[in-house]
Amino acid sequence: MVEKLGVFIGRYIAPLLSFLRRSADSTGFGLVLLVRTMLNTPFLFSRRRIRDSLDLCYSYCIGSFLVTSVVALFTGMILALNGGNSLEELGQESLIGPIVAVSMIREMGPFMTALILTASLGSGIAAEIGTMKISEEIDALRIMSIPPIRFLVLPRMVALTLVTPVMTIFAAFIGILGGSLVANSQFDVGWLAYRTDALESLEFRDVFTGMLKSVVFGITIATVGCTQGLLTRGGATGVGQAARRSVVVSFLLVIILGYYISWSFLS
Amino acid sequence: MIRLENVHKKLGGRTILDGLDLEVKQGETLVILGRSGTGKSVTLRHIVGLMTADQGRVEVLGQEISARHQAALLEIRSRIGYLFQDGALLNWLSIADNVGLPLRERHSMKEKEIQERVEEVLSEIELDGHGDKMPSEISGGMRKRAGLARALIGHPEILLHDEPTSGLDPISSSIINGLIQKLHGTGITQVVVTHDMRSAFEVADRIALLHAGKVIALGNSHEIQESSDPAVQQFIHGLVEGPLGRETSEQLEPDQPDKEESGLS
Ligand SMILES: Nc1ncnc2c1ncn2[C@@H]1O[C@H](COP(=O)(O)OP(=O)(O)OP(=O)(O)O)[C@@H](O)[C@H]1O
Ligand SMILES: [Mg+2]
Repeated sequence: MVEKLGVFIGRYIAPLLSFLRRSADSTGFGLVLLVRTMLNTPFLFSRRRIRDSLDLCYSYCIGSFLVTSVVALFTGMILALNGGNSLEELGQESLIGPIVAVSMIREMGPFMTALILTASLGSGIAAEIGTMKISEEIDALRIMSIPPIRFLVLPRMVALTLVTPVMTIFAAFIGILGGSLVANSQFDVGWLAYRTDALESLEFRDVFTGMLKSVVFGITIATVGCTQGLLTRGGATGVGQAARRSVVVSFLLVIILGYYISWSFLS
Repeated sequence: MIRLENVHKKLGGRTILDGLDLEVKQGETLVILGRSGTGKSVTLRHIVGLMTADQGRVEVLGQEISARHQAALLEIRSRIGYLFQDGALLNWLSIADNVGLPLRERHSMKEKEIQERVEEVLSEIELDGHGDKMPSEISGGMRKRAGLARALIGHPEILLHDEPTSGLDPISSSIINGLIQKLHGTGITQVVVTHDMRSAFEVADRIALLHAGKVIALGNSHEIQESSDPAVQQFIHGLVEGPLGRETSEQLEPDQPDKEESGLS
């Protein structure tokens, strides 16, 4: 009996406990990393760090541009199609534009962009830093007295904090465009009317909520990616795990934080 | 120069260093030998403060290395060069930029002076003309030499080599051994961790054999070669049977999070 219990604990409980401990550890590590990166922002103002950050911005934009466009276009089209179908019965087709515009800028745009950037950039950051960790490059930096936070984390954090809102605006724009295609072809809404309705419905609060979300999401993705990268160990498998964990954790955080930001602006 | 006294270190629940005593004198080249997993790399990590002892004392260049003295640690590190196993070059920078990195990031040196100094070290380690290549475009031996160049660029007083010749062909190994000897001539203090016996006897002033977390033999090349200690004989002749045992103690616990190693400072 006692033996069986021991086996049970060994097989099912111990891994669970170690998972929980690891999660707690990496959460703590991530928060410390975020705070320390913020404390290091003064070091951003050197020519080299600014150049690093802008280089990263550029490559992040290039890397996520195409997939964001396609996903945003179809998201806008789906929104218009679904909204249009219900609104047509009520004779309210003119509301298609406002619905697409508001949901793209406030909810879908930031959320969708964050998921795309998590999958394409966050996992890449985790894998890149993880590889550096296992090939002792991080240790080499520390020995050369080049703090990895300043040299690696800060530029990535800055780049994602800038790129996420930019891509979000871009996604919202493409989404609204996609909506107009459907509104025009399926529900006979004129281009001009769609545009006017869509733009007039947007309030400052919606745009602000969307932008706030996208900034928070960008910081989240960068922090999680860097955290998982720096905590990598155990060779190539470890790098794979770091990338996978960074995606899972960012997904969860994006959806939870997104809800609370929306909630705090609606109530 | 470097003194480790009664250093104990546990990692992942296992005792790696168990009362290690080691002293490296000014200007000497000390070779550390030992089986895989006996903690040779861990010993080097203690010297630069990448790890700190659970118990015992590590003193380098007259300063105690400990987690409490971060500012002193930075100062000490700027006087130490560390050559990692695979060079540990950043793959998005060219060889010249990798080598110049410590100067660009740490000092307010003029760009022109940095470039001159980079040229100088590159030719010192016979890599001139390869500065524009990327790390992925050169061979393992050249990457190690580039790593050495980067370690040398700040005129270190101490140079630590972790397996400088592993994975290299005999000719590349000889080039590296030659470089270590040449550096010895300049009066720099060196610690060399290696599995390469020929290289060890060639470059060492003294050799320390590490086993079970302690130094079990210490002496110059001649003394070690002539030693009657069966453990030493087993190791240098690679005998399967002997007091050191057959199996290495290598065993990783993949799920142990290790905070110290996560690279914040
Ligand atoms: N950060 C760490 N966390 C847990 N265990 C570690 C850590 N670093 C090293 N170890 C363990 O410590 C032991 C000694 O490692 P070390 O790298 O010093 O061996 P070594 O003597 O350099 O061997 P090799 O010749 O194979 O390089 C190994 O068993 C290793 O698994
Ligand atoms: Mg080693």
